[in-house]
Formats: sequence, C-alpha cells, structure tokens
Amino acid sequence: MTRFILADLRRLWAGSLVIVLLIAFATALGVAVTLQERALRLGSARAADKFDLVIGAPGSETQLLLSAVFLQPSPLPLMPGDVLSKLSADPRVSWAAPVGFGDSFSGYPIVGTSSVLAGTLSALTEGQVFSRAGEAVIGAAVKLPLGYEVKPTHGLAELGGETHTELAYRITGRMAPTGTSWDRAILVPIQSVWSLHGMGAHEHGEEEHAQDGAHQGEHAEGAAPGHDDGDDHEHAHIDPAAPLDEAWTAASPGLPAILVKPKTIADAYKLRQEYRGNGTLAVFPGEVLTNLYATLGDAKRVLSAVAIGAQVLVAAAVLLVTVIHIGQRRRQIGALRAFGAPQTAVLLIVWLELFLLVAVGILLGFAIGYGAARILSGLFSGESGVLLPVGFAREDLASALAITLFAAGLALVPALLAYRQSPAAALRA
Amino acid sequence: MLSLDLKNISVSYPGLSAPVLDIPSLSIAAGSRVAVTGASGSGKSTLINIVTGLERVRTGSIRWDKTDIVPLSERSRDRWRGTHVGLVMQDFHLFPGLSALDNILLPARLSRAVQSGDRDRAMMLLNAVGLSRAEQKIETMSRGEMQRVAIARALLRKPGVLVADEPTASLDSDSGDAVARLLIDLSVSNDSTLIVVSHDPRLTGRLDRCITLVAGRVSSDVLHREKAA
Repeated sequence: MTRFILADLRRLWAGSLVIVLLIAFATALGVAVTLQERALRLGSARAADKFDLVIGAPGSETQLLLSAVFLQPSPLPLMPGDVLSKLSADPRVSWAAPVGFGDSFSGYPIVGTSSVLAGTLSALTEGQVFSRAGEAVIGAAVKLPLGYEVKPTHGLAELGGETHTELAYRITGRMAPTGTSWDRAILVPIQSVWSLHGMGAHEHGEEEHAQDGAHQGEHAEGAAPGHDDGDDHEHAHIDPAAPLDEAWTAASPGLPAILVKPKTIADAYKLRQEYRGNGTLAVFPGEVLTNLYATLGDAKRVLSAVAIGAQVLVAAAVLLVTVIHIGQRRRQIGALRAFGAPQTAVLLIVWLELFLLVAVGILLGFAIGYGAARILSGLFSGESGVLLPVGFAREDLASALAITLFAAGLALVPALLAYRQSPAAALRA
Repeated sequence: MLSLDLKNISVSYPGLSAPVLDIPSLSIAAGSRVAVTGASGSGKSTLINIVTGLERVRTGSIRWDKTDIVPLSERSRDRWRGTHVGLVMQDFHLFPGLSALDNILLPARLSRAVQSGDRDRAMMLLNAVGLSRAEQKIETMSRGEMQRVAIARALLRKPGVLVADEPTASLDSDSGDAVARLLIDLSVSNDSTLIVVSHDPRLTGRLDRCITLVAGRVSSDVLHREKAA
C-alpha cells in the first residue's frame, strides 16, 4: 500500500506540492504570529525586568517606558532636577540614576547617566566604569573597541544631526550582554550631556533657573532627532579629564527620566505613589508593559483571526481540490475494488494520501513559521538590542495536535466519498 | 474452477420500463469457456457486474459452486471476488508509477492476501504472457503488453473463474490475437472457468459456447464444441 501511495504521489507530484505549500504557508502564518507575539512579550518583559521604577515628567507612561527602558528616540518632557537629589537622599532608595538622551553615535544611542547605573546594570566584561567627563562605557552589542573616541551627534546622524565638536568620549569599559536595549547604548556621564547641551549644573544659577522655563521647554525635546537651529545653547569647551560630579543638588538641570532601585517592594509602591503628581510621574515598567500587552493582545487577536481565515480558506481549497480529485479517480478506485481491494483499503489509501500531504504541509509550516519568527526577531534585536526569545511552548504542541486532528478529520471526507462508491458505478464513470 | 448457476435474475433501473437484464435460468459448467455477445446496451456488462458481485441484485440467486453471492454483504463480496474471480478489462486498469510486477501483486497486497510463493508465481505468469522485464514501469509499455500484465494479474490468486470484458477491443489485431490466445491457454492451464464478453470473432470463435443477449434476455445459446466440464 505504501508503494502504491508513494507512486500515486510521485505521479501527481505537482498537485501534491501545491497542496503541501498551501498548507505550509497557511500554517506558517499562524505559527509566526503566535511565536513573534510571544517573543515580543517575553523579550520586552525581560528587558524591562531590570528596571524597577521609572520616574519622569507627567506625560505618556508608555512613552516614558519606551524612552527610558527601550531607549527609543523621542521627545520627553523634563522634570525639575531637584527630584534626583530628593530621590538620592531618600532612605527607601537603593540607588537612583538619571538618564538623559539626545545624542547618538553610528546609530547607537548615547545615554547620559551616573556611574552607579553603569556599574550595576551589568558586570563589565572589560575595562572600567567611566570616572571622568570624557569617558564612556558601552553595551555588549556596540561594535566599538575600548579606547575608541566617540564624537556624539545631536539627535540621529541620518536625520541631519550635527556633530558635537566640544567633546569626544573615550570608551573605557564594556558591559556584559543584558538582552535589553541597553546593550546597544553608549553610557556617558550625565554631566557631560548637560554640558554639551548648555545645561551644565554650574551654568544654571539659582536666579537663572527661575527664568529657565523657556530653555527647559526647548530641551523638552531632549531626544528629538536633529538639531534645533534656533537653539542658542552655549557650546563651551568641555574638559574630558574633569572628574565626575555626581553630587545631585536641587540645582541640577532638568531630566527626562530617573531609574530608581527601591530597597523593598513596599518601598517601591510607596515611592510610586509619592511620585505620581506634583510634576512627576512614577511607573512600574511591568505595569505599563501589561497595559501595552493588552493593546498588543488585541492586535494579536486580529492577526490570529487573519491567519485562521487564511487557514480556513486553504482547508476549503484543499477539500475542494481533493473532492474533485476523487471524482477524477473514480475509475481507479472502482478498479481497485473490482480487483478485490476491500473498502477499508480504499478508504485508507485516499485518507493516507491526503493526510500525508497535510501532515508534511503542517510540519513544513511550523518550520517556516519558526524560521520567519527567528529572522524577524533577529532583525528586531539588531535594531533595538532587545533579545526576543523565539521558542515553542507546550501550548504550541497542543495547537499542532489540534490542527493535525482537524486535518485528519478533513481528509476523511474524500476518503469516505471513495469508500461509499459502488465499484461498478465507478468503473462506468 | 467454478461452475455458475443463475436463477431468477432481474435487474431494473428506475425510469426504465423494462429490466436491463432478465435471466430466469442460466448455467455455466466448471472449466467451460464461454463467450457473451450482444449489441451495445444488451446487458452484457450488467451480467458481468452481477456475476462477479460488483453490482448487487436483490432477488434470485447467483451460485458459484456452492456459494450464493446474492445475500453476501459488500465486504464479503469484495473478499469473495478477490479470492475467486480474475478480472481482465478493456481499459486494463493498471496503476502508473508501479512496475509490471508490482501491478500484478497489488490487489493481493491491498487485500493482505499475499502468500509466500506469490512473487515467484507473478514472475512465472509474466513469463507465461511473454514479458521479461518485471521491473518495467507500466506507463512505458505498449497497450498489448499492458493487457498481458492485466491477464497475469487476474491469474495471480489462481481464480476459479476468469472474467474478461472486451479484452481485445482496444488492441491492434496482432496484439488482440495474442491476448485471445493467452486468455484461453492460461485459463486451461490454470484450471479457470473463462467468461469473455466480446465482439471479437477471433476470440469468441475459439470458445466452447456463445451466449447472445438481446435487450437483457438470452436470445441464443450455442455450443461450438463439446468440452468436458
């Protein structure tokens, strides 16, 4: 029987191939959507896991998360600099690190922060944390050697950002991979970022700060791509050898975000409550992500519905093709019966032939779907640094079994048609 | 070899006023070689279909030796036919993609009735029908060769009766001649009763008996020569 089925499939190889490919692509669509969505959810959750509490100026929580955790370049409003000093002095806070954006190099975001964050985010695989204004630590995915001089570009180079000539950072250390967007980041002292953008703490006197609303408003586009020509900030020379000044005071310039490590979970909740309102917005990245997933879930449902629609269409097409095919094979089936092949043998032949094609299609579909998800995740990781873990889960096995069972049931339709044919009538056809 | 005894057979189809086959009684002795002739629509194929159990009748009896196949279920008729009937048809009904040898063995394999000596017997039958390339793919053969393979297939399980439906109709005269000779010779050497539906006088003329059907009834039944049953 196997030989007969194989000979039959070989003879009808073109049609069989089309059926296999149709089923493979329909399956791959569903598999890729499921795997990609899961990878995105897992990857982003893992990436955000390292950050307990993020505090920024009032605005969009999602935007704050995307910018501070996923380092997406977009304008964030600034909050007053005294928030950082208050947090640093707060006994419930293990550490609080400022983050300031706005510059990039070769597509890598340059993030101004404190040496605390650069030291705690991930262990260094080589070199050491920056200790001077002109030093930088790079993420694991930044393809630059230690000692390399990084000349920051305001905004993004491809969007016409201007290169700062006042300061070049020398790379002194490289972090271990974290699987987060920070792997693609160049971490520099925030005081240098402030200085480069004319916001140095020393240039902002108390009296000046009061009238600094306009200036801050301008820098509210801290991560805006491109350089504002109307920006009149001073580009004074900055001494790269200047020691770090991480004594945050109320006079510190405005900040787009502060990453906070509370000492306990209770502290985290208290801090979040305390810093919601009064010019600040505190968020748990996990919480924001959950909301984001709800939206993502809706999108996934739509994509899944599209995939299921495609699968139903393919199933209908395959059924139609096989029923027509059985009609064309009536004489052959009639002859098999006439020569004494039992009805069950005919049923098994037709069922096995179709089921074999469908099973190969499903298997191929899972492989293509997995491959596509891997490629997409690879592309995404390359761009964002967030590692997207593509992998099958136990529920995929269940869905594969469900699809296979459904296919087995579907293949029974033409098989039963063949089973019920009278051999004499079939031979006359 | 099997004898056939038909009683009160009547086959009607809805919408037709007269039955397409109406045979009160017909006997064929075991080992005889019988031709069934008649014009198109005279009921020849219906007769073949009901005596081989391909088509079911509700009344009467179709007794092959001691077995009446009328009350048998479809499954039992399939099994009985596979064991006792060798079928040769006008269109060969061989399966492309398989070799000559695999085609001969296919019905037995599908019925899970292959016996240890069947492969050798298939080779012997291939030789007997004058073919030597057992592994030749069926679609590469001439029509005459294909019908020879079909005859070998029909004889594999040593059937008690060999039934051929227009076996030479689609062959040229040389091939038709050879096939006619093979059918008769091999039915004799394999101890099979032979029933042949044919218009071909080269074939019917060589058989012992000729039954002619007209409008579903036996209009003449001529014995060409005596043949011991």
